[in-house]
Amino acid sequence: MDKLDLIARNLPYISQGIVTTLLLTVVALTSGFAAGLLLSLVRVYGSNRAAGLAIAYGRAVRGLPLLVIMILFYLFVADLFHLSAFMTAALALGLHSSAYQAEIIRAAIQSVGSGQMIAARSLGMSQLQAVIYVILPQALRLALPSWSNEAAVVLKDSSLAYAIGTAELLRRAEYVSARTYEPLLVFGTCGLIYLMLTFTTNRILGALEAKYRLPDGH
Amino acid sequence: MDSILELQDIHKSYGGTEVLKGVSLSVNKGEVLVLIGPSGTGKSTLLRCINLLTRPDRGTVLLSGTDLTDPKTDLNRMRQRVGMVFQEFNLFNHLNVLNNITLGLTKVKKMAVAEAKQVARLELEKVGLADKADSFPGELSGGQKQRAAIARALAMQPDVILFDEPTSALDPQLIGEVLEVMKELAREGMTMVVVSHEMDFTREVADRVVFLEAGQVIEEGSPAQIFYHARSERTKNFLGKIIGLPA
Repeated sequence: MDKLDLIARNLPYISQGIVTTLLLTVVALTSGFAAGLLLSLVRVYGSNRAAGLAIAYGRAVRGLPLLVIMILFYLFVADLFHLSAFMTAALALGLHSSAYQAEIIRAAIQSVGSGQMIAARSLGMSQLQAVIYVILPQALRLALPSWSNEAAVVLKDSSLAYAIGTAELLRRAEYVSARTYEPLLVFGTCGLIYLMLTFTTNRILGALEAKYRLPDGH
Repeated sequence: MDSILELQDIHKSYGGTEVLKGVSLSVNKGEVLVLIGPSGTGKSTLLRCINLLTRPDRGTVLLSGTDLTDPKTDLNRMRQRVGMVFQEFNLFNHLNVLNNITLGLTKVKKMAVAEAKQVARLELEKVGLADKADSFPGELSGGQKQRAAIARALAMQPDVILFDEPTSALDPQLIGEVLEVMKELAREGMTMVVVSHEMDFTREVADRVVFLEAGQVIEEGSPAQIFYHARSERTKNFLGKIIGLPA
């Protein structure tokens, strides 16, 4: 019970990392969504040149390991803009996620039938109106399952922020482990916490999916 | 007789293939024009050229005198006056039937929501779907979807409605309900351009029939003229295959 006591005493410290982890995740997902949405719209509706740039961006960012992006941000961007470890990590995570979210949203937009756009235009809607009121509402619903996956991935990837000194969950666990010489116990607990977080995230997003599913008479 | 729609020498190519080879047509107010012809001969393409969903390579489209092919024309505004009903219905799947109709009214015609809903309910009543206002497209049968699509087009109060094979995707027993709605529209004097294979409907309702083959107008005339006194061999051939009329 010595071990349980050890965990209990250190849990508050480790748990404060949960807030940081969640904050990192939310900031990264939100900024990634904004950028990803823009990129996907450029891909689908933009000029050939603009779409080409969007594709190149996606390929470059998805071609790099997240850890490398984090370290590069730490080495170059952090000093330049006087960013905290948290902001640096959040930006790197957001950049990385934006490339994947762009793919998710693009695929969703393209799987909305072309007839939808044609019908919207035939009513006199501009392309912008059609995208906002007809295409995106359907595309984003279609994207939810893939997006839920991306949300869980970003949550787990936030652990990489430990490499540049952000005091999120993993880093705090590492600190406690170093102090108590009980790596198995500490990292095991850490793992359990991550499991709880991803499980809860999936449940919430699953409920969202159910809420926005379109009725089809079944 | 005023001409609501005029197509002058319409040409359209896709890739290397010329699909429309100089088609000219005019439609008068209140007229029901039916385009018949073999599949793939450009009938749908021609229809899409009317509201510039497809831009012709050459030729002019005049809607009540306004040149739609002129690059300076505000197409979004002009398209409000040309309704369209599609073979695949193309209802907005994320909106219930009522909102499918109010979307165009509120966003394009800038109508107030309450007024839009009233107009929508009236149109739904007209096509016999008053009780389906809160249903979603996924919950409707094909015939109901198409009638909802017609209501959506009607609500915009267009000068002319284009029908692109409106019953071709329907089970046989559902075709009747859609044709009934279209017949009623014709009786009320709506200008209609219809691409269809429904020959009975054509014979009953069309004011003029145009036979299109290989991207060209082969022949046009009243239903009686086309079905029983066709001048061209090609027309007779086509009709012979479709309805077994003596060549």
